[in-house]
Amino acid sequence: MIYKTFRFRTLIYLLPALFIFLTFNVIPGLTSLVLSFFDFSGFETNLFKKFVGIDNFIKIYEDKYFWIALKNTFLFVFGAVFIQTGIALMLSIFIFFGNFKFSVLIRSIIFFPCVLAPVSVGLVWKKILEQDGVLNAILGLDFSWLSSISLVMWLIITVNTWQWIGYNLVIYYAGLQSLNIELLEASDIDGANWSQKIFSIVIPLLWPTTILNMILNLIGGFRAFDIVYVLTRGGPAHYSEVLASYLYYYSFAAGGPNKMGVGASVAFIIFVCILTIAFARIVVMKRVEKN
Amino acid sequence: MEENKQSNYGATFKRSPIFFIISRIVILFFIIIIIFPLLYTLSLSVRSPETVYSAKFFLIPHEFSLQNYYDAFFYAEERLKVSFPRMFLNSIIVTTSSVSLIIMLSIFAAFSFSHLRFPMKESLYNVMIASVAMPAQVLLIPLFYLLIYFGIINTYLAVILAYAGFLIPIGILILRMFFEQIPYELTEAGIVDGSSDFQLLTKVLLPLAKPAIATCVILLFLDTWNEFIYAMIFMQDPTIHTMQVGLAKIGTSRYHINIGTYSASVMVSIIPVLIIFTIFQRWFIAGMTMGALKH
Repeated sequence: MIYKTFRFRTLIYLLPALFIFLTFNVIPGLTSLVLSFFDFSGFETNLFKKFVGIDNFIKIYEDKYFWIALKNTFLFVFGAVFIQTGIALMLSIFIFFGNFKFSVLIRSIIFFPCVLAPVSVGLVWKKILEQDGVLNAILGLDFSWLSSISLVMWLIITVNTWQWIGYNLVIYYAGLQSLNIELLEASDIDGANWSQKIFSIVIPLLWPTTILNMILNLIGGFRAFDIVYVLTRGGPAHYSEVLASYLYYYSFAAGGPNKMGVGASVAFIIFVCILTIAFARIVVMKRVEKN
Repeated sequence: MEENKQSNYGATFKRSPIFFIISRIVILFFIIIIIFPLLYTLSLSVRSPETVYSAKFFLIPHEFSLQNYYDAFFYAEERLKVSFPRMFLNSIIVTTSSVSLIIMLSIFAAFSFSHLRFPMKESLYNVMIASVAMPAQVLLIPLFYLLIYFGIINTYLAVILAYAGFLIPIGILILRMFFEQIPYELTEAGIVDGSSDFQLLTKVLLPLAKPAIATCVILLFLDTWNEFIYAMIFMQDPTIHTMQVGLAKIGTSRYHINIGTYSASVMVSIIPVLIIFTIFQRWFIAGMTMGALKH
């Protein structure tokens, strides 16, 4: 600390950032919680005119598509947390221990989709998955992938994994590079084979990196909107809706119900989900520190 | 150094042919999966409109032509009332102004968190950390009305300020951590010399913080350039559409669009990113890894 005590004058460093953070983040966030108890639509100026209590929540509770959106969000998060992390772990071990000549190039290629906009990625895959698209041409099928109620969510998860796997990969790679080499050398002397080394040494040692990747994917999973919007717009018949796109559909979409209050209550639910995760994370972290 | 370490590790695995073969197969498979969709879209975009459905091995066009790129240009002008160069310009304006605003304010705020005293410091910091995990959609509705109330909806400023409010915590997080890693002796020497706090920040800390600032710029650049939902809802006027919004409109429009024109539009958004990524790839990967590790 430069000064031993608090000086008013130095607040000038903090205030501009704090002002913007409060005005465009904290205050709207808290307002959103309040707004979920009001009924208003896109054209009103006084939002707080019509207090409806928990009507908005009852409305979404009774809406079958809300439950589909909730289920899909959890499915999406599950895919991101377990499948994506798992594949990234496998790839990073293969690249790191595989003695590849062009390992930097390989990493760059797998990483590249991360810097693309989800909109571009969604549009690339949309044409591939269409009925007259190249996937059907390769497989010799005539199947409309994105109109399949049972498959559509898994396809969205696949596309999302395709885009973000390189992100988890480079984080794992950083973890592998800081691994303790002596343990591996010791196991070599003891005559351990490659699978023993991977499953009993490398993966357990990478556990903190795995947790980090899972948390990043968990938070990212709740954010997913662009890819759903571009690939399916929540269709067919709302069967690939996630919470974020459901919120958009209820409050902004052309041809939607245009009920902002209901949208705000969906935001409330997302807020609660994230808060629960944040608390769970703190509890887990404390327990990890204790051990 | 990196390569050295790797070959050390690799030696212990080299003796196993099974591992060697499996790793080759799996990596090759994933490389193909990653590259194929992008190459395929590129291939579609450079076919002549007549032969767009015919190609050897799905990738090599029968007839090369840049006609699709012209078509995409005019399609956007006609249907969206905004041209591709204009969308680019809009994206560049939004990205550069929000990134510079966020970086500037974060530097000052991070300095006050790391080197100055003020009441409620750690609780405020915890609120900021917590806000990083919030999805942007939670703020969508109240921000929409707030921006209407301020009279800046449908202007660049709407999105710039929304991005700033949302991303300032990340900037502060990364820069504070970095400022605190700078040895305190350096600051102390400055204090003894009688520098003011502003001089300490600009003369001592900032020159050392260049890598952290570069990390921030990369992270914020990607977040703002690729952002979609705020840009779509807060800037509905076609002339100020960003690249992502225009592209999404082209890609999901109900009008018929030639698959070549469609692919050309997508490639227009991908190619500049590919060029920038190829030049700065080490920075991108290091920046995103560092950004993640600071969480």
